Amino acid sequence: MFRALRQKLINAYLSDEEKSRVERALKDMASTGFDPWGVNPDTLKASLASTIWLYRKYFRVATHGIQNVPPGRCLLIGNHSGQIPIDGMLIATSVLLERDPPRLVRGMVERWAPALPFVSTFFSRSGQVTGDVHNAKILLESDECVMVFPEGVGGSGKTIFHRYELQKFGTGFVRLAMETKTPIIPIGVIGCEEMLPSLSKLEPLSKALGIPYIPVLPTPFPLPTKVTIRFGEPILFEGNPDEPDAETHQKVEKVKNAIRAELDEGLKARGEKIFTGAGI
Amino acid sequence: MSRILITGASGGLAEIIAEKLKDKYELTGVDPRPLPEGKKFPGKFVQVDYRQRKMADVFRTNEFDALIHLGRVPSQIRLRKTQRFNQNVLGTRSLLELSLKYKVKSVIVLSTFHVYGAHQHNHLYITEEDPLLASQTYTEVIDAVELDNVSVAFSLRNPKVRTVILRPTNIIGLEIKNQMTNFLRSKVCPTLLGYDPMWQFIHESDMANAVQLALEGKKAGIYNVTGEGVIALSHAIGLTGATAVPVPEFLSSAVLGGFKLMGQHFPRHLVDFFKYPVVISDKNFRKDFGYEPKIMTADALRSLKPVPTLEDVKAPKTTERLDSHSS
Repeated sequence: MFRALRQKLINAYLSDEEKSRVERALKDMASTGFDPWGVNPDTLKASLASTIWLYRKYFRVATHGIQNVPPGRCLLIGNHSGQIPIDGMLIATSVLLERDPPRLVRGMVERWAPALPFVSTFFSRSGQVTGDVHNAKILLESDECVMVFPEGVGGSGKTIFHRYELQKFGTGFVRLAMETKTPIIPIGVIGCEEMLPSLSKLEPLSKALGIPYIPVLPTPFPLPTKVTIRFGEPILFEGNPDEPDAETHQKVEKVKNAIRAELDEGLKARGEKIFTGAGI
Repeated sequence: MSRILITGASGGLAEIIAEKLKDKYELTGVDPRPLPEGKKFPGKFVQVDYRQRKMADVFRTNEFDALIHLGRVPSQIRLRKTQRFNQNVLGTRSLLELSLKYKVKSVIVLSTFHVYGAHQHNHLYITEEDPLLASQTYTEVIDAVELDNVSVAFSLRNPKVRTVILRPTNIIGLEIKNQMTNFLRSKVCPTLLGYDPMWQFIHESDMANAVQLALEGKKAGIYNVTGEGVIALSHAIGLTGATAVPVPEFLSSAVLGGFKLMGQHFPRHLVDFFKYPVVISDKNFRKDFGYEPKIMTADALRSLKPVPTLEDVKAPKTTERLDSHSS
C-alpha cells in the first residue's frame, strides 16, 4: 500500500524528464537497487516529488552560476540559516533539477540525526550522510558532490537581527579539500535568512536542556520568501593539508569572502523585495 | 598434500569449505559438537573441546600446515557468559598456542563484523583500523571482541605464523544457521519502527571462497569481508519473502521476550543493528587477496525464500476434501 501511494505521489508531481534526471544522477547501483550510500531511485524520486512544489511554487527558487558545480568531486560550501535545513534541501534540489547533467548532492547532516526515527531513514534514502570526516573523505574520493555548512547550528539558529552575517566557520572542510584535492564551490543563499525569522535563541533555556537553540518564531510555518542560490567560481587550494591553523584560517577567510561576494551581489539585486525580488 | 585443521567442523560453513578443499588438501575436522545426523566430514573428524588435552594430541599426530578456525560459539546459543567466554576466548588462545608449538604455517581466524558494534556515530565503510566498539554498550559480546583481540595480539607477537583474521558481514545461505539467517527465514520479521539501516550480506559460497583465498594467499593481517552492494533492511526482508513488522523501540524488549518463549534466543546487542548501519569496507581484502564476490546480494537473499514443501502443497487439497465432506 505504501509503495502504491509513493508511486502516485511520484506520478502526480514529477514529469518524465524529472524522473529521468533522478535516474541519471545515480551511479554505482548494486543488484539490490541501492547505491553505496543507501539511496534508492524510487525513494529519491519520492523525496523530490515532496520538495519540488516547495522549490518551484512556494520559494520560486532562482539559480545563478549552477554550471560552476563541476562534474567530478567537489565541496559545496554555503551560508546556513532558517532554523531548519531548508537551504540545504533547496541547494540539493537545484543541482538535481537545473544542472546539466544532474548530480546528487550529499549533504553532511548533524551527528545526532541517525538516532532520530523516520528522519534518519529519510536522510539516508535521499542521499544525506552523517557528518563525519571519514564519510566526507570516502565520498570525495569516489568523486561525489558533498555539501557542508561549516557554520553548523551557529548559522541555522541565528536570529533575524544577524541575517546574512556569516558565523564562525570550522576549518575541517579546508583541510579535507586540500587532502583530497577537491575544488570548493562557494554558495550564497538569499531568501532563506528571512523565511523563519527567529527573535531569540532562548539561550539559557536551550543550554539547560542541552539543545542547540530554541527559536522564538512569530510565524508557525516558513514564509514564502523568494530564494536565490548563487554558485560562485570553484576555489582550489594546494599545499600541505597539515599546515598550521593560522594558514588554514586564511584559506577559510578566502572562502567566506567568496560567499560574502555572492551574498552582496544577490542582496543588491534583490533589494528590499524579499517576497518578489530575485538576487540575480 | 598439505594438511589442514578445520574447527567448528559440525557447522554449515565448515561443511561448504571442507567440500571445496577436500580434493586439494588432507582435512581434519574438530568440533565440541557431534556431526549433524546424516552428515559426513570429508576427512578425519574428532569430537573434542579445544581446551582439552586431546586437542594437543590431534596437533601432535597430524603436523598441520594450516588451521582454519571457524569454531566460534555464536551469541544466539544460550550459554552463561563465562561459559561462552571460556569456549571462545580461551579455546581460541589454546588453538593458537598449539599452532605455534606444532609449527603450523598459516592460521585463518573467522571473527565477525559485530565487533565494530552498531553505534550512532558509525561512519559508513568501516575499515579494519576503526575501533571495536561492540562491548562498549553490551558486555555479552565481549567474547567476540576478545576472540578477535587474542588473534590480533597473536599475529603481532608471532609474525612467523601467517595469521589472517577475517571479519565478515552477515553470512547467509541455505547451509548457514546463524541468528541472521534464522531471522530472515521466519515469515514475520520484526524491525524497529522509524529505522531502516543499510545492511550488507555475503553468500556462503563467496565466504568459502574468501577463506580459501586467505588460506592460499601470501599476506597476513586483519581483513573485512563483504558481499556485493548494500541494502536497506526492509528491502532485504522483502526479498526473502518475509513480512517486515515495524515495532516501536519501547516494545523491543517485549518482542525479544516473545522470541525467548518460542525457544529462539535473539541477543539484545543485535537490536542496535536494526537501528544503526554497520557498513564495512573490504577494499583491503580485495586488493591483497584478489577477492571478488560472485553471488549478487539480491540473489543471495532470494535464495532464502522458503520453497513450498510437500505438506504446503498438500494442505489446500486436505481443506478441499474437508469442505466437500461438510457440504
